[in-house]
This record gives sequence, C-alpha cells and structure tokens, in this order.
Amino acid sequence: MKKTNPSFLNGVPELLVLRLLSKEEMYGYQIVEAIRSQTAGALSFGEGCIYPYLHYLEAEKQVSSRRQEVDGRNRNYYKLTQRGQKRLQTLTDEWNRVTNGVALLMEGKYA
Amino acid sequence: MRDFMGQLRGRLLKLRCPTARIERLVHELADHREDLKQAGLAEGLSEADAEARADASLGDPLVLAEQTMMSVRRSTWWGRHCVVTFGLLPILACLLWYLMLLCEMLLVYALGYGCNREKLHVAASNPVTLHHLLLAFRFTDYFGVVLVALLFFWLAQRTAVKLRWMVISCAIWSLMAVIFWAELKPNTITASETGLTLTAGGTLSTDLASMPWFRATIPVLVAGAGYVIQCRAVRRRLQRATAG
Repeated sequence: MKKTNPSFLNGVPELLVLRLLSKEEMYGYQIVEAIRSQTAGALSFGEGCIYPYLHYLEAEKQVSSRRQEVDGRNRNYYKLTQRGQKRLQTLTDEWNRVTNGVALLMEGKYA
Repeated sequence: MRDFMGQLRGRLLKLRCPTARIERLVHELADHREDLKQAGLAEGLSEADAEARADASLGDPLVLAEQTMMSVRRSTWWGRHCVVTFGLLPILACLLWYLMLLCEMLLVYALGYGCNREKLHVAASNPVTLHHLLLAFRFTDYFGVVLVALLFFWLAQRTAVKLRWMVISCAIWSLMAVIFWAELKPNTITASETGLTLTAGGTLSTDLASMPWFRATIPVLVAGAGYVIQCRAVRRRLQRATAG
C-alpha cells in the first residue's frame, strides 16, 4: 500500500492555491478571497501568509508571476506553470485517496 | 500600517532577508491591505476601523516574517539541506583546495619556468627561484583556505540561513586545515639533478607545537569577520528603515 505523505496535510494550502491558479491568473488578494468564498469561510488564516507561500511556489517554478498595472496599482499576477500542473495532479490524487479513506472510516462500512 | 509594515520589515532585516524580497513582500502586502481597507469601507466601517480590521486580517507580522524566511531558505537546495551544505561540504572542500594548489603550481611552472623538465630542475636547484616557488606555494595554500571559508560565508548569505551555520562550516573547515596538509620539497633525483615534489596528506599530529595553527585560524577569522560584517549591515539597514 502506498504510504501517505506525512507532510500532506501541511500541503493543503498548496493544493488550494494551485487549484485556483489552474483556472485563471490571480493576484494575492483575489486568491485569498477565492479561498474564503469557495470554502464558505471554513478555512481562516492570516492573509499575509499567502505571499511567502506564493514566493516559495514561484521559486519552485510551480507558478510564475508578472506585474501589471490595474487602476493605477501595480499588481503581481500569478499563474500556474507546467510543473505546477503536474504537482497539482499529484496533490489532487493524494487528496482524493485520503478523503476517500476518511469517508469510508466515517461511514463505518468496514467496521 | 506603519506598525505592521515596520515590525515586519524590522524582523526581516534582523533575519537577513534579501532586500529585494522584503521590498516585494511589503509592496504586495500594502496592496492587499488597501484592498481589505476598501472592502471594510464599502461595508460601512470607519476608516480607522477598516484599517484595524485590515491589519488584523493580515496576521501577526512576526509570524509572517518567520514564514517568509522559511520560504527563502527552502527556495534553494543549499538552504533546504543545511546539514549537508554546512556540515559535510566543508569536509569535501579539501578536494577543492588540493585542486587549487595543483592548478596553481602547474600555472607557476608553465608561466615562469615552462613545463620543461630541465627548466624545472634548474628552478629547483636555484635557491632564489626555489624560495619564490615555495612562497607562491604557501600563498596559494593560505589563499585556498581563505577562499573555501569565503565560499561558505557566501553560501550562508545566499541561502539566508542563520549565521550559526556559517560559523559551524568555518569551524569544520578550520579543523580540516589542521588535519590536511600539502608540501613542496626539493627532491634530489641524481647527484646533479634536483626536482620538486608536491606531497599532500591528512594527519592529526599529537605534537601541538607542530600543528599548522595559523592555517587553522584563518577560517575562524573569516567567520568572525563575516559575523561582524553581517551584524553591522543589519544594524545599518535597520537604521535606514527606521529613518525612512
């Protein structure tokens, strides 16, 4: 049986950010708002921490960024790269495997 | 705003975060805070309340600074593997040092005396030339030791790891400088011929007086100087940030 990545639960923000960026190019505030609205406010965190995270993903070449002036403000837009796409696929597979396992346990089918 | 950004900037400067990274983060956070503030104002909050809520939403600046540093360190292979980079690499650095010595000697022979065997013998037989050769050799030896120590200082800066890693690597390199040695000796080939032999090895002598203490001190001095330079640079940047 494949072992669960121990850092997997720590990788949830990575999964969320990559998933959102796979749909469209976004800047930090948009990402935070999207996480808030699309999880119905279930996930709360210090919003500033999204930036070190995005910078890390950029260093890992999972996302790329570009500056664009919008309404007189210079914003950093992030988008998914090919490597990010692959990473997203891996994380999604792991997530599905774990949530399926947890769901089975919660339903008590094999108890 | 000043408090949040000031605290964040101050902490990042103390942690030796690259300036470009600080500027980028502060710029993005200022933008984010403005968006939060506008959202608060749109909800009917007063300006002061909207700003207070925006600051609270961004989180603790000190925690944010730690997270930023973690992301900076994790963004390079060297930063992710501190034990290998600053613990094991100083041991392997001996190879680099040997290589340097060898290249330097070859260069000196080639430029000054030619690669010709006879010329080399003439050089080794001449006391003045031999003295120059030995001097060049000793200089390269010390220079190699300094260069390796500087390499670890540079790596510590590049990866923004805690300064103790730089001190650890220089301490290990210092120990290596005690153990490993290289020697250039005139070597009698025949009664009329004198050549030069380069020998290198690693021994830990029990005779404390014969140990190469000066060589061993060099990495420690480099680490000490690096530490002081870094601390001064942080203090200067902090003063500049406070004044700004």
